[in-house]
Amino acid sequence: MNAIRNYMDNILKAVTSTAKGMGITLRYWALEPSITVEYPDRLGKGVTAEDLVSERFRGFLGFEPSVCIACLQCQRVCPTDCIKVGTEKRDEVRFITRFDVNQAKCMHCGLCVEECPTEALFFTKRYEGACFDMEGLCFSHVGEPVPAAKRKREDGGQE
Amino acid sequence: MEQYSAAEKIYELFSEKALALGIPEPVLVIAAYAIPCLVVINLIQGAAGMLTYAERKISADIQNRIGANRVGPFGLIQFLADGVKLFLKEDIIPDAADRKLFKLAPYIVLSSTVLAAIVVPFGGSFIVADLNIGLIFIIVVSSLLVVGFLMSGWASNNKWALLGGIRSAAQIISYEIPTALSLLCIVLITGTFSLQETVMSQGLWPWQWFIFHNPFSFVAFFIFFVSALAEMNRTPFDFPEAESELVSGYNVEYSGMRFSIFFIAEYGSIFIISGLAAAVFLGGGNIGLDPYESPLHMQLLMVGVFFAKTVPLCLVIIWVRWSMPRLRIDQMLTMCWKYFIPIAFACLVATAIWLLVFNGNGIFWRMPAP
Ligand code: SF4
Ligand code: SF4
Repeated sequence: MNAIRNYMDNILKAVTSTAKGMGITLRYWALEPSITVEYPDRLGKGVTAEDLVSERFRGFLGFEPSVCIACLQCQRVCPTDCIKVGTEKRDEVRFITRFDVNQAKCMHCGLCVEECPTEALFFTKRYEGACFDMEGLCFSHVGEPVPAAKRKREDGGQE
Repeated sequence: MEQYSAAEKIYELFSEKALALGIPEPVLVIAAYAIPCLVVINLIQGAAGMLTYAERKISADIQNRIGANRVGPFGLIQFLADGVKLFLKEDIIPDAADRKLFKLAPYIVLSSTVLAAIVVPFGGSFIVADLNIGLIFIIVVSSLLVVGFLMSGWASNNKWALLGGIRSAAQIISYEIPTALSLLCIVLITGTFSLQETVMSQGLWPWQWFIFHNPFSFVAFFIFFVSALAEMNRTPFDFPEAESELVSGYNVEYSGMRFSIFFIAEYGSIFIISGLAAAVFLGGGNIGLDPYESPLHMQLLMVGVFFAKTVPLCLVIIWVRWSMPRLRIDQMLTMCWKYFIPIAFACLVATAIWLLVFNGNGIFWRMPAP
């Protein structure tokens, strides 16, 4: 008797669980809209590739020369030697002559950004770097030499 | 009733004109037989192509994706792009393979599908040959599949492929039995193996279909449908090509066109099985008129009705694939030997008793006057 009940139970279970599973997929098939973003050419009006990523996305490095104090910390800390900073002293003023980032080598570890005391170095959301030549990924952030920002004094006041 | 054959009809239609034009007799005969063959092969190819597209789109819909949408409007001709890609691929035959068997296997698998298409009534007089052993013929040629799978598995000289082939043998041979038994329920009702006659004895309305003939034929339909899924190796019964266990099973060593022939055979058999289910259980292309005597536009309407029943069934097969996980091999065999075969037998006996008690009539269906 038990065996027969088991047998019938199994059939019932197979039928109901199949129906339930198919019901779920049917709902998804018929009702749920697709959530795929058709990158890159059907993003919707006014939406750019940069809008798709999250707030703290680590894209290419950005550089703000007006606050850089040319301390070279970023160059020193980078594990893969992506950053090259050149400085020159002219008439008692330090100039940044060169600030090159080789994005091809960068592994977006964020050490440089953490290290930078003035937030002159930061991550942008840009990530579309496909190009035919590795040179295309070496960015020079400084063209004409710019004067480095003044360092803060040890006690916190401006020099 | 005499057997109907499209080739003979074509021959009769054109013989006078052609002989007057001086075309020799043998050429005419070959042409008469070649035309239906080509039509069926192309139909299967086309159906397989559209089904791969449907499969991509439906799986995408179910998983909240978009699916193919680059080639043509809505990605409709994606399957052509796939076909071209497979054409251009290198055709690799492994060194250790048995070359002759390796080359032969895909054609055996495909021919099993195409042969089955011969007896499927596509509505109206559109049937290649209405054999009086139609259902037996379908069951026989679909077991040809085992030969092809085992052959490809053995010839590849690859343990995954061989395991896949052996699994398919175990699976197809066991599921052959419930398929045949559930079809036999309908044969009991009609008293014929001919598919066209089976269709003709049903009607346009659902209550005239054999699925609603009696409660047991209703069960038989589901048994037929599920074991047909197993017979053509669709998920949840795709053991021969279980991707997670056997890489890709019997066809793991195949590439290029040979692989795509396996592929076409798989999707073609979805279409054929759906067509068979529609014809035997769901009334096929019957709209209550004689398929051979009615005018052409009515016959085309019958074809439309047939496809209106077949295409949803194809979609259900795809839908099942994206809902169900694969069973384990022992579960699959348990299901067949402990559940399907006894239930199918019970249905067969119960149908026989039903027919005896109710004098051949169904719940709504009435035995035609002799
Ligand atoms: S993110 Fe890391 S790897 Fe990239 S430049 Fe900064 S320190 Fe170097
Ligand atoms: S970017 Fe930041 S860390 Fe690098 S030199 Fe300028 S101030 Fe120093």
